[in-house]
Amino acid sequence: MSRLPAHFPLLNPPSPTPSNPPAARGAPVFHVRGLTKFYGEGATQVRALAGVDLDLHAGELVVLLGPSGSGKTTLLNQLGGLDIPTAGTLRYRDTDLTHATESELTLYRRESVGFVFQFYNLIPSLTARENVGLITEIADHPMPAEEALGMVGLSPRLDHFPAQLSGGEQQRVAIARAIAKRPAVLLCDEPTGALDVHTGIVVLEALERANRELGALTVIITHNAVMADMADRVIHFSDGRVLSEHRNATRALPATLRW
Amino acid sequence: MIAHLDRKLLRDLKRLRGQAAAVSLVMACGLAMLIMARSLISSLEGTRAEYYQTNHFAEVFASLKRAPNHLADRIRALPGVATVQADLAVPVTLDLPGLDEPASGIVRSLPDFGEPELNRLFLRRGRWLSPGSRGEVLVGEAFAKANALNPGDTLTMLLNGRRQTFHLAGIVLSPEYIFESRPGAALPDNRTYGIFWMPYKEVATAWDLYGAFNHLAITLAPGAGERPVIAGVDRLLRPYGGLGAFGRKDHPSHIRVTDEIRVLTILSIGFPIVFLSVAAFMTNAVLTRLLSLQREQIAILKAFGFTNRQIVVHYLKFAFVMVLAGLGLGLLGGVALGQNLVVMYELFFKFPDLRFRLDGPAVAIALGVGLGTVTLGVLDAVRRAARLPPAEAMRPEPPANFRPSLIERTGIARLLSHSFRIAIRNLERRPAQALFTVAGLALATALLILPNSFKAGISEVLDFQWDVVQRQDVNLGLVEPSSARLAHELARLPGVTSLEPSRSAAVRVHFQGRSRQIGLRSLLPGGRHSRAVDRAGREISPPPHGVILSSKLADVLGAKIGDTLVLEALEGRRPFANVPLTALAEDFTGIAAYMDLHAINRFLGEGDVITGASLTLDLSRRAEFLAALKEIPRVSTVAIKETMRQAFRETTAQSMGVIQSIYLTFAVIVAFGVIYNNARISLAERARELATLRVVGMTQHEVGAVLVTELVILALLAVPLGLLMGTGLTTFIIGSVNTETIRLPLVFTTYTYAFAVVVVLIASTLSAFVVLRKLKHLDLIAALKAPE
Repeated sequence: MSRLPAHFPLLNPPSPTPSNPPAARGAPVFHVRGLTKFYGEGATQVRALAGVDLDLHAGELVVLLGPSGSGKTTLLNQLGGLDIPTAGTLRYRDTDLTHATESELTLYRRESVGFVFQFYNLIPSLTARENVGLITEIADHPMPAEEALGMVGLSPRLDHFPAQLSGGEQQRVAIARAIAKRPAVLLCDEPTGALDVHTGIVVLEALERANRELGALTVIITHNAVMADMADRVIHFSDGRVLSEHRNATRALPATLRW
Repeated sequence: MIAHLDRKLLRDLKRLRGQAAAVSLVMACGLAMLIMARSLISSLEGTRAEYYQTNHFAEVFASLKRAPNHLADRIRALPGVATVQADLAVPVTLDLPGLDEPASGIVRSLPDFGEPELNRLFLRRGRWLSPGSRGEVLVGEAFAKANALNPGDTLTMLLNGRRQTFHLAGIVLSPEYIFESRPGAALPDNRTYGIFWMPYKEVATAWDLYGAFNHLAITLAPGAGERPVIAGVDRLLRPYGGLGAFGRKDHPSHIRVTDEIRVLTILSIGFPIVFLSVAAFMTNAVLTRLLSLQREQIAILKAFGFTNRQIVVHYLKFAFVMVLAGLGLGLLGGVALGQNLVVMYELFFKFPDLRFRLDGPAVAIALGVGLGTVTLGVLDAVRRAARLPPAEAMRPEPPANFRPSLIERTGIARLLSHSFRIAIRNLERRPAQALFTVAGLALATALLILPNSFKAGISEVLDFQWDVVQRQDVNLGLVEPSSARLAHELARLPGVTSLEPSRSAAVRVHFQGRSRQIGLRSLLPGGRHSRAVDRAGREISPPPHGVILSSKLADVLGAKIGDTLVLEALEGRRPFANVPLTALAEDFTGIAAYMDLHAINRFLGEGDVITGASLTLDLSRRAEFLAALKEIPRVSTVAIKETMRQAFRETTAQSMGVIQSIYLTFAVIVAFGVIYNNARISLAERARELATLRVVGMTQHEVGAVLVTELVILALLAVPLGLLMGTGLTTFIIGSVNTETIRLPLVFTTYTYAFAVVVVLIASTLSAFVVLRKLKHLDLIAALKAPE
């Protein structure tokens, strides 16, 4: 192998990464079968997920595409342990998330999941460094908050409060917060939804780099089809189920994307 | 048909019912106090005025040794005098079955035929005295009740040393004895002290006073001044042992009711101000929160053509509904409190019919004050929200601006946890909200100091009075000044272990144009019973020449140690003397002057005379002593320390119980309400932030800790402040109710403070717990969807 180990990012100019063959990865991180979710009861009942079958593997960057209302956020919430499915199987490694209790889900989120939301959801009364530090305080083997913020290019803005940062910067703080605990899973819900193209690309670069360097399974949900090119695998979602999926031969660099 | 905007109002209210209820409850405390106090004032004033008018209560009163009845005609002829009633008032002791100690009291004479012109009685039960009857008596209600006496019972009385049996004809009330108590006593002891009425002939015969009077009641002609009449009466009575005439405002029973009205007036102003300020702030906090939540709704309403005015009115209505609810609760609370207090007043004040009368104007004032305060509290916020241009209002509010808090800027930032930082930065960003929460909690703490401090003060007065100042077991009063030899006779009674003679006299003390009529009491050099004690608790030994005054009396006169006072005796040959003021005595009930026993006798020039004695007893022979005492006719009053102490304890326990529960309720409501609202608003404003913390893996407890940290910081600020406020408030209130009749010492015990802290902390913790339970229902997914 001619490349240096991934944790020396500065010496490795980013380049299109070949998609890893699925066979090399062993057991999936998520094993999803017949996943169903209903909201409400009786006449007002809504079916958000209608039997999803899916395996997601370590280190993969998966883009989940679909129109709004297709159920992709619902799926992400089930994967992230924010909600419990109505029926079906949802396993994270050896853990059955379908029947997990409230406190088991909390522990799961705390140890294994990093979230990035469309609207950043930073704590307004804490600085960038402190927003990340808040999470590293409760994580088992976190990286220092400064390192996480360095990975997203925010070293000069460590002590700024959210109100003093631009939207893109706030989203990068959110990414730093999500990756600082070295999560096994990074779940991103429309991470560029509130940003302009230029800022959006900077954010996607940060996500791509986090996926590459930390090896976290990264799931990005979006209705922006352009982002499909940066994924290892693209899953099309519609009406509460997987419509189709395909694998990219190479991952496009975020910088090359335009929408 | 409810307008749609009003329907929205109702639904908003329903959603915020917890917070609205907290505001209304705090407001209700203030309004209840206002309604209760104003209503009680009008009940007391109204009832008293009617009673005085119906029963022809006199306007000027005088006591004297004795004067022939025809002197009354000369007094009647004084300019400004309308009616004169001359009668008798004499001391009496009673031998009651079931009461092993003698009771004492005053017998007042009634005309032998017909009703008295002034100070007419009110017949509660039984019948009036039969015209020309003998052997019948009317008894004051307080004494009758305390001793379970009924019309038809018989009473054995010692009248001027003669034992006689009387039939109790009726139980009565008198406008002269609304407060029926031993002269100078702070609280009534109705079991051993009573007032009785008999025909003039009966009293006069027993006391050899036929054709004479020793008490006067006078009413003034319309427009006549009280002062010249008092001066004229004093001049005419001087040769007959006049003890100085006085007007209604110095009448002991009248003063007690007036004092109570004064206390109620203070309550009716102070309490509502404090409670309504807290409530106004709470309303402001709830409404500000609602306005920021409904920013876009306001924009839409305006975009569709609603005027600023309509929007202001809509949100003001929200506040007004809380005021109306508060008024409703306050009205119920005020009436309930008032009715409770009237029951308590019945312990002290005897009116024919004292009823709680709801004061209509008080309710109107309460409504006005309530609406006014909340309008002041919220108008600015509402107007600002309504004025926002719709396009701007449609956009979400800009993100909150934070900065490192003051504490962090001192350089200890590294020591602080993240949740602590979140907490103090939030507090610093909303200083007004923090300040008022602190103020509310401090108020709750302060409220709890007052009743316990009152209680401790009363208990200290009792201990001081009976363990420090009067260490004897029994005080005896003689029918009239007697030779000191009587003391030897009394000392030989069974069970008496020590005896000290005493001499008291009515005097008037003058200093630089001011004067007070008081009792001059004797002290024995080296005496072990009655003592005078200074502020530091040291015994003051009576000077051979010179006088000791109650420090309150010195205050009233403006005299200092070393000044020369003029003592004017109001009995005997009425001598005058110039005496130096040599020391100030600390005492809590009444005002008095103290002199060496021999100095008093020298001053009065009546030889070696005593008017009473104090005794200590071998308690195992108490019954034997009391039985023997009943046989000594010259004893007119007997005061047994333990009995009086017991009676005081019962009366104070009952009234303090009512007062304490009122304050406790108020304090708990305020502490609970203030914390509840603060926590609810924090929870609502920061639902997104808190949900995010939960999503990224914090447990419910960890997220709760962020909110609790804030509350704990507020409580840590508020409680010491509250203890300070409570101390100040108590000092002010006790200072303002201190009178010449009774003064309470300021007593602050560890228990008083600890009680306040514990109650406030428990109420706050429960309240926080109620709110924290809502963290369970935090909607994690909804909070992530969009910023508000």
